[in-house]
Amino acid sequence: MSRISNQIRRLRFDHGEMTQEELAQRAGCTRQTIIALEQGKYVPSIELAFKIAHALGVALEEVFQYEA
Amino acid sequence: MNFKQFTAIRILVIIIMAGFISWAVVSANIWIPIPVVIAAVVVMMLLRRRVREVVVDERVYSIAEKASLVAFRIFGIAAAVIGITLVALGWQSASDLYKIGLTLAYSACGLLIIYYIAYLYYNRKYSGKK
Repeated sequence: MSRISNQIRRLRFDHGEMTQEELAQRAGCTRQTIIALEQGKYVPSIELAFKIAHALGVALEEVFQYEA
Repeated sequence: MNFKQFTAIRILVIIIMAGFISWAVVSANIWIPIPVVIAAVVVMMLLRRRVREVVVDERVYSIAEKASLVAFRIFGIAAAVIGITLVALGWQSASDLYKIGLTLAYSACGLLIIYYIAYLYYNRKYSGKK
């Protein structure tokens, strides 16, 4: 299991109940990737992580957390 | 066009292509698959351009990389083991087994050479060396 967790699901709802499809379009990835991220089954590249944070309008560390 | 429509058309194109290739095999005509495969590739490229959603992203590439590595290992090991076994079995008689074994063994060698060249290329590309 990855040590990187994320708050994508919560932030989507905080962001006017943004759909997975909408976030995927804004971040330039597929909806399947957003689903995998929310379920903790996939760890994104730094670039995609920044794009998601940018799409959600928050800082990177608000979206992704590393549990040492 | 959305991704679902694109997927449905892609499956349809694959079915049609498979039908033509089956027909080519049955009728022993090697010239049928060539234009069919070219047409299918062109159609898929044109369709992909019309899809507004992202069709392929880094997760898909990551899955493809993992699948390629697994396929490489399985084929490489299987081709080497089966190839050497067949060469050993047909060594004295120089039978078809021997030829098939040699083909498999050389395929494994070719695969290893391609892998090594690709590895060197990417290792150099991502190492910062000039």
